Amino acid sequence: MNDFSMDSRSMAGALDARLDAVRETGFSQVTLCAHDLVNHPDGLDAAVASVQASGLAVTAFQADCDFEGQTGPLHRFKLDLAQATLRLCQALDCPLLVLQSSRLAPAADTGSTLVLGLRQLAMLAIPLNIKIAYQGWAAGAAVQTYLQAWDLVCETDMPNLGLSLDSHEVLAANTPQDDLLADLEMLDADRLFLVQLTDLLAPAHQTSQPLRVLPGDGTQREAVAALVTGLHALGYRGSYNLAAFNGDYAAMPPHHVAQRARRSALWLGQDVLQRSVPLPNQIRLRRLKTV
Amino acid sequence: MTVATLLSPSPDREQIVEGDNPLGLEGIEFIEYATAKPQALGQVLETMGFKPVARHRSREVLLYRQGGINVIVNAHAKGSPLTDKPLISAVALRVRDAADAYRRALERGAWGVPTHVEVMELNIPAIHGVGTSRIYFVDRHKQFSIYDVDFTPIPGVDQHPPATAGLHFFGIVQYIGNDRSDDWTEFYRELLGFSALPAEQRFGILPKGRILRSPCPPESRFYIQLIEPEAGVLDVEDDEGLHRIGLGSADVLGTVAELSRRGVEFVSSPSVQTSERGALTRTWLGSVSFEIVHDLRG
Repeated sequence: MNDFSMDSRSMAGALDARLDAVRETGFSQVTLCAHDLVNHPDGLDAAVASVQASGLAVTAFQADCDFEGQTGPLHRFKLDLAQATLRLCQALDCPLLVLQSSRLAPAADTGSTLVLGLRQLAMLAIPLNIKIAYQGWAAGAAVQTYLQAWDLVCETDMPNLGLSLDSHEVLAANTPQDDLLADLEMLDADRLFLVQLTDLLAPAHQTSQPLRVLPGDGTQREAVAALVTGLHALGYRGSYNLAAFNGDYAAMPPHHVAQRARRSALWLGQDVLQRSVPLPNQIRLRRLKTV
Repeated sequence: MTVATLLSPSPDREQIVEGDNPLGLEGIEFIEYATAKPQALGQVLETMGFKPVARHRSREVLLYRQGGINVIVNAHAKGSPLTDKPLISAVALRVRDAADAYRRALERGAWGVPTHVEVMELNIPAIHGVGTSRIYFVDRHKQFSIYDVDFTPIPGVDQHPPATAGLHFFGIVQYIGNDRSDDWTEFYRELLGFSALPAEQRFGILPKGRILRSPCPPESRFYIQLIEPEAGVLDVEDDEGLHRIGLGSADVLGTVAELSRRGVEFVSSPSVQTSERGALTRTWLGSVSFEIVHDLRG
């Protein structure tokens, strides 16, 4: 369970109820977004206090600000937004900000404004000791895939900028296993900061979008397992965020969804990754750097 | 104006590559300590050869000086309460154009520090540095100085006391979290033009970590030494900050002898010994120490 984080967006209800559900089902990590905090009935400080009191570590904070690629007044507006988001991340003692690729068309045809924007954001994050995980997605204007996102991460070349990989993209593309592994080989595991895991449940009519469900709840169980195994072989040892949002989960009590997520985590941890059960009160020692 | 055009005025016409010293950095103007015990720190500084030379016009701030080294002791609480343990709270860098340096840093992702200037005081632009520290940009360091405006000289005191045994600024030691060397190297490289020295190039007697060289001309060059926690210790990411000042001396043993006569004690342990290469003072007030580093300047 220590490798898995529960995404707050996968559950409905008040923040406190969701945090309780996550903790009581055995998770030690949660992933949050700004809405979780700013919509708290008692205000932002109370929301942050609730998170701290929960004892849950905040694995990542999801930004939603269409940041990179803009210039002029829009860039300044987005910069202010990004700075506020970083401050929220810092208040939560969260080491990772996930930035989805912008839905806004970049101001210039060249990638330079994208690179400059990402460099600026990553630099802002350095004094706060926050890493940025950049994620491509289908709604992105210029960056829609994890490979495009990876190219931009490499071009931007900041030590605290890496990649967030969403399994939804991999599953939806239905890439043959060998090709997928070849694509993953192009990544550097040390710069892969987060993996967001979901499964897909396709409705009968193929014109509809498949549901994002928890790993193991969908029809792509083998593909999810293959992806996780492939990432492990690549050397990825970071967290897996269980990020499944759909109208059905949103209509369930948070404990119910958290219980399903627990089943997902146990399946992935024990059956797929074949982890042993961790000892209680395990002390995390700093890993030795090899030069 | 876009970020791109700010960095490269006409990228479709020509690529302008900035020089090695994009801000025109020319050394350290001052280092500031924040403390709730300014008199106690003042005694330490005087033992180290500094003299109090001026007071701030409106705040409980004192300027100490020896040779070209300015140290400000700030007991004026700004928001957060001061602690008894002095903290290096700011480094002021001499630059060609302070406003331009500030704008350039913000374009590259620095956090600007809002200033609260009183009447008749200078607005010194600053960005956030490590921990709660600030990095000031100062361009009045030739014909005029910032102290002419913001400080009142202490009557009857030599405003330019000589340095003890030729001491001068050599650098600053910064403690950082685990695996943070690359982050801070990029911070200082991108914003200020620093470059990392090869691992085999070392100064003084405390050779740990990574050393960054400022892009200043040789006569005003200084260094930042980044030190991560010892391998194997528990995570201490929160403990980032500026730890101590390095002072250069062409004759370390002579300087140590002179400072010892003034009452300064030096660390002598199996791992740290005074030598021609350098020395380390004992720690005062729980946090203040100085490292003497062999450096032919001065």
